[in-house]
Amino acid sequence: MSTHIGIGFSHDFNTEKAAREAALEASAQLKSASADFILILSTAQHEPNAVIQNIYNLFQGSKIIGCSTAGIILNHAVITHGIAILAIASKDIKFGIGCARDITTANIQQKGSEMARKIISDFGQHRRQVCIFFIDGQIADGSRLLKGVQEIFGNVFPLVGAGSCDDFRFEQTFQVFQDRVLRHAALGVMMGGQVSVGISGYHGWRPLGKPRLINKVDGNVIRTIDGKKASSLYEEYFEEEYENLHSTPLGQMSILYPLGIFVEGSREYLLRNAVNILDDGSIVCQGGVPENSVVHIMIGNKDSCKQAATQACEEAKQNLLGKKPQLIIIIESMARLKLLGRAAIQEIENIKKVFGTDVPIFGMYAHGEICPFQTVERIKKPYLQNESIVVLAIS
Amino acid sequence: MQQYIPLIFPTICALIICALVISVIVKNEQINQIKGSLVKLKKSFNELDEQAKLIVKTDLELNKAQEESDKRLKGLEALHKTARLISTTLDEQEIFNRLDQSLQANFDFDKILLFIYDKNKILKTKIRVSYSQEGGEYALSSLEKNTALMKAIQEGTVFSSVNTPQQRKNSITQCFSTEHFVLSPILAQNGFFGILFVGNQSNASPVTEGDEEIISILANQIGQSLENARLFEEVFLSSQALETKVQDRTKQLEEALEEVRNISQKKSEFISAVSHELRTPLTSIKGYASILITGKLGEIPQAVKERLEKVNTHSDNLVKLINDLLDIARIESGRAEMNMVESDLNHVIENVHDLLTPQMKEKNIRWKTQVSPEISSIILDASQVERVFINLVGNAIKFTPENGEISINAVLMDSTVTVEVSDTGIGIAPKDITRLFDEFYRVENDINQNVKGTGLGLALAKKIVEAHQGKIWITSQINQGTTFHFTLPLTQTREEKSV
Repeated sequence: MSTHIGIGFSHDFNTEKAAREAALEASAQLKSASADFILILSTAQHEPNAVIQNIYNLFQGSKIIGCSTAGIILNHAVITHGIAILAIASKDIKFGIGCARDITTANIQQKGSEMARKIISDFGQHRRQVCIFFIDGQIADGSRLLKGVQEIFGNVFPLVGAGSCDDFRFEQTFQVFQDRVLRHAALGVMMGGQVSVGISGYHGWRPLGKPRLINKVDGNVIRTIDGKKASSLYEEYFEEEYENLHSTPLGQMSILYPLGIFVEGSREYLLRNAVNILDDGSIVCQGGVPENSVVHIMIGNKDSCKQAATQACEEAKQNLLGKKPQLIIIIESMARLKLLGRAAIQEIENIKKVFGTDVPIFGMYAHGEICPFQTVERIKKPYLQNESIVVLAIS
Repeated sequence: MQQYIPLIFPTICALIICALVISVIVKNEQINQIKGSLVKLKKSFNELDEQAKLIVKTDLELNKAQEESDKRLKGLEALHKTARLISTTLDEQEIFNRLDQSLQANFDFDKILLFIYDKNKILKTKIRVSYSQEGGEYALSSLEKNTALMKAIQEGTVFSSVNTPQQRKNSITQCFSTEHFVLSPILAQNGFFGILFVGNQSNASPVTEGDEEIISILANQIGQSLENARLFEEVFLSSQALETKVQDRTKQLEEALEEVRNISQKKSEFISAVSHELRTPLTSIKGYASILITGKLGEIPQAVKERLEKVNTHSDNLVKLINDLLDIARIESGRAEMNMVESDLNHVIENVHDLLTPQMKEKNIRWKTQVSPEISSIILDASQVERVFINLVGNAIKFTPENGEISINAVLMDSTVTVEVSDTGIGIAPKDITRLFDEFYRVENDINQNVKGTGLGLALAKKIVEAHQGKIWITSQINQGTTFHFTLPLTQTREEKSV
């Protein structure tokens, strides 16, 4: 087995210096002349072009993808200002990358398929194990992009995804593909060959209050709940007019109380963040919502979050079928960071308790997570989820 | 039997109808019960929902409180880090560099501006984050134009988007193009130093009261650090000025010393020249006086003879004085040559003893000598060192009462011979000790008033000892006695040494 992993990080406020420092550290840890695959995570304060220029020079010839994030998760810390680089050099693991640009609401599904095709084309005829992809978190209805991806990979192929984000500003995010900085794009990597993966995702949110019925839906836009405009749900709970819901700090807090949709045969509610509230009171969700489904407002706390993280780790470990993980990739909702606050590091400690302190952890806080949904079926279908933690253990 | 048949059917029908009616009644009862249960269930749900609303409300408050508490803790940590960073340097520019880094790395503000008074009391931009140069200048000039706002800031008012009245808030927002902000004066003991502005444009990151407090404390810390740096600079500049003054004075003193040396040299040369000129006629005077005393040129009356003998004696004294002056002048001018040869110190001391024994006998003074055996030989100019001993022992005899004691001790320590010439004489007052080696200085006492002297003996002894690379000093107690100490290095170059 010859797989080398290097993780570099810098929290220098000077972007060029931070990018160089992180790249050099990753390169030094890699113990290999070149890297096959590079994953870049940068918090939104850094200027993305300066980030990629300084990294690309050092890793020319590698397959590079990356995105902006609200925070970086490493073994020793949760950092909200910095640049982190994951470098992998392996003879056993095969990588294929691809991207789709200029995504709009109209073409999102086709762009999902386009990205998947490009990934397959770059990956070649190796055994596929998992596809990790990143999408501009500002694009509404990421579940349609997922649908496009699934059209190519199949409904039950293991997919892990994340919505790139900024620092709770919900303004502009960026994606990195090779030496270019992209916006409104989706990009991903297929990992395969002689590699085993264990995936799991949980959220830990619990339903609160009486169940309600979603009467009318247009894709990811909930029009009416219990026969009333959809926003009345939040208005009742937050005692705020819908006009204020998304423009005030209280409105920002709504990400802490997502909608929980009951899915037949599932172990957990499917969570949906309210990303926007329209003038007619419709709620725009990050992913698609089935019509006539029962919905609850959901609530979580620090303990339920940490418990869900442990549960996800244990299940991912179990899915590795006894193999020792070499790398843990975490994709976690930025809402959880907001909820956990200073206790976020405790969640990382729980992850280390499950996998051991010697296994490198590389993760990000995302705006929308994709992973196989917790159903009672043996083979689980990936869904776009919110407020969850996704654990990908690679052996 | 047949007559009953027509009755059976209606009866059955009636029974069925009764049963159906009963059944309907029972079902109705059940439906009513279910309806009642549904109403209760709906009521429970609604109650549950009301509780849920309360929970959400409480949870929201808790979340907000937690967020605020997290923010404050983070702010305190950041404040602690920053305060430590800026208080550990006294270089003003370094304070700004560290502050720039720490404000960006540890605080959650997108926009930062720091204006500090320069030495001419003009506000200058020292830190600028997320502002172009023009943006920073615009903010500063807009702020300065708003005299009421500037006055309030200079008086110590902290403004933030949380607590500022809307009108003033709008004017600050306009100056800095930022919706959420804290604007704090930087004050120190010496007064107003400058202004710190931090802010966020996004509604997602509004500033809080906690931010206001933290930034206010930070501004004070910046003020103190800058004040310390400026005080240090002042002290540093003063010390530099002082050092320059000291250097100037030292130079002046060196020049003065050099002048004194030149004068001293000229004095020595003058004395030497004059002494030479005096010695020749003096020799003639003494010679003629001696011839006249012998009577070779004819008998002279007793009275004349007595006067001539006085001329002779005074001539001798004058010759001695001139010789001493010439020796001192020679040593000072570097023209004297020390004949440094291996000598026996005991022998030197013995010669002195022989020479001065008659005078000691006159006063019944005891004589003791102790020279360490390891000083078997020493490199010195024996005739010159003998003159040192003659001067020191001669003085000792002069100031030691009858039946007193004079002792000479010589010990070797670290290749240096230390000689002590001690007496049990009248001692020397501390005020005189420091001047005793000055030329022509004579201690004022009864003995000196009665006994003539030139005041050059000890000065000459000092010059000779120094010419041997030694030192000479005195310890004395009034009415107890005096000890002259001098050192001579055990080994010197065997060649004749010019000093």
